[in-house]
Amino acid sequence: MSPRASAAIIRHEFRVMFSDPSTLVFLLFMPLLMVALMRQLFAGALAAEGFPGANGSEFAVPGMAVAFAAFSVSYAGFTFFRDHGWGTWDRLRAAPLSSVELIAGKVVPTVAVTVAQLALLFLLGGPLFGFRVAGSVFAIGLVVVVLALSLSAFGMAVTALARTMQQLNAIGTVGGFGMAMLGGAWVPVSAMPGWAQAVAPAMPTYWAMKAFRAVVLDGGGVPDVVVPVLVMAGFGVAFTLLAAAKFRLEDSKAYYG
Amino acid sequence: MLHIEGLRKAYGDVVALRGVDLDVAPGEIVSLLGPNGAGKTTLVSIVAGLRRTDAGIVEVDGIDARERSVEVRRRIGLAPQDLGIYPVVSVRRNLLLFGRLVGLGQRELRSRIEEVAEALGITGLLDRQGGTLSGGQKRRLHTAIALLNRPPLLLLDEATTGADVETRAQILELVRGLAADGSAVLYSTHYLQEVEDLSASVVLLDEGRVIARGGVKELIAAHADPVVELTFDGEVPPVAASGGATVEGRRLRLATTDPASTLTAVLPQLPPGSLDSVEIVRPSLEAVYLALTGRRYQEADQEAEHVSPS
Ligand SMILES: Nc1ncnc2c1ncn2[C@@H]1O[C@H](COP(=O)(O)OP(=O)(O)OP(=O)(O)O)[C@@H](O)[C@H]1O
Ligand SMILES: [Mg+2]
Repeated sequence: MSPRASAAIIRHEFRVMFSDPSTLVFLLFMPLLMVALMRQLFAGALAAEGFPGANGSEFAVPGMAVAFAAFSVSYAGFTFFRDHGWGTWDRLRAAPLSSVELIAGKVVPTVAVTVAQLALLFLLGGPLFGFRVAGSVFAIGLVVVVLALSLSAFGMAVTALARTMQQLNAIGTVGGFGMAMLGGAWVPVSAMPGWAQAVAPAMPTYWAMKAFRAVVLDGGGVPDVVVPVLVMAGFGVAFTLLAAAKFRLEDSKAYYG
Repeated sequence: MLHIEGLRKAYGDVVALRGVDLDVAPGEIVSLLGPNGAGKTTLVSIVAGLRRTDAGIVEVDGIDARERSVEVRRRIGLAPQDLGIYPVVSVRRNLLLFGRLVGLGQRELRSRIEEVAEALGITGLLDRQGGTLSGGQKRRLHTAIALLNRPPLLLLDEATTGADVETRAQILELVRGLAADGSAVLYSTHYLQEVEDLSASVVLLDEGRVIARGGVKELIAAHADPVVELTFDGEVPPVAASGGATVEGRRLRLATTDPASTLTAVLPQLPPGSLDSVEIVRPSLEAVYLALTGRRYQEADQEAEHVSPS
């Protein structure tokens, strides 16, 4: 296999993405707005937990980053449905490239968008909200990349299972939102009811939040995120296997059922 | 160039192909005819690797299409029945993407884009967004994409759907040119006239089976007498006629080698006022189709968006 075909598709996907950037803009700016609105709320909660100097962004920035990254899982599927809708899916399949090259070409841009979305929030968090990382910035980067991979794998699994755009939206949005909610991205896990605390570790987002907290608030480094990163990677592998088992290149995907 | 043997394919309970044999030699144009649902698209899709087979052999240039799909696709240009272009990028970007996917290098790609754009008359549209093209212009771009790799085997699935007279003539001219340069062309269509214009050999598919094949002239000579077709206001009255007479609804069909004398013989037998219209169906591919299936091509094809004009 040669990376050339994948590279051509990746470039093309970005071009298509930027031809209508509204979704991207939404995914990038909504979380900034949410952080601005919710930050104060968390300042008090963090003070009570023993971080008196906290301004709330220490929770709100990673929280909204994860929450909106989880929203973007349906975007992964959307890029496939779009090709089905345009009739270009069969054309891509008729081109002389392997299915791995084709899938890579479609998935890499989605992962890149999620990484960019997460990174942008962390980068703008400082100047906009006084967000500071007490620990290793590299560890944050590591968590961001693994989280993006794991969420994209979830997106692929949803894509494989969904036959219509409605199903994709339903599973993607509800699944993404629920995953962020239960994982403690909107409300800190410690503030959730007992049953929710019990299911939280079943969410990859929980591990992302845990890792971010360890670095941002507790000043941790790479060794402190190894376990969460491995768990997220495990989720990623499981989602990938599910996607691989259920994905059929020749399945047709419809906008409507 | 293309060799198919015993090809079978079912979608669940729907059997689309029931053992099809088909060969297309380099430089040959084979037109694949058949009513809606006959299995044309299924056949073409299988050759292009878009669908799996249940049984049978599919070889392109001697290469097994199932085992070595990528190599086979390298030799194929496919213009599917359904339009497939990116509406949100320019015509040139559409061609660039698919040109890169067939492995053309930068410089070669640029000149190849000029060539296919020229061949399909879209040179002036290269910088337009795909989505802003008219239906026929989209069809040209759609067809142009299939030509980028100078395919030894070209698969055109109803390439002239929605095309105006000029686009149609251009596409037919193109197909003839490619065949003259040695490409094998499998051309599915509903326009019987096109087949006659291309002087292609015909494979007539019906319900997943090949029911006839050969040159247009040979098929007509072998299967088709002119048919006199009488349509009545009410029920078809009893008529004595030599040769084959078939009744279908309010229609009586008389196969004959001499339509004029058949008419003279039959008309006096009819109750006054009962006859609605008379038509003489001249021997054409359509008559071959009628002879083989007992159905008019247009009727078999009622749901087609575009009914054969012949
Ligand atoms: N994806 C599918 N799932 C189930 N049945 C299918 C599918 N695609 C085609 N069929 C069925 O297979 C048969 C052959 O269809 P096909 O599209 O090959 O016909 P066709 O000759 O191309 O018709 P048309 O002239 O309408 O394009 C039809 O009965 C059709 O309903
Ligand atoms: Mg068809």
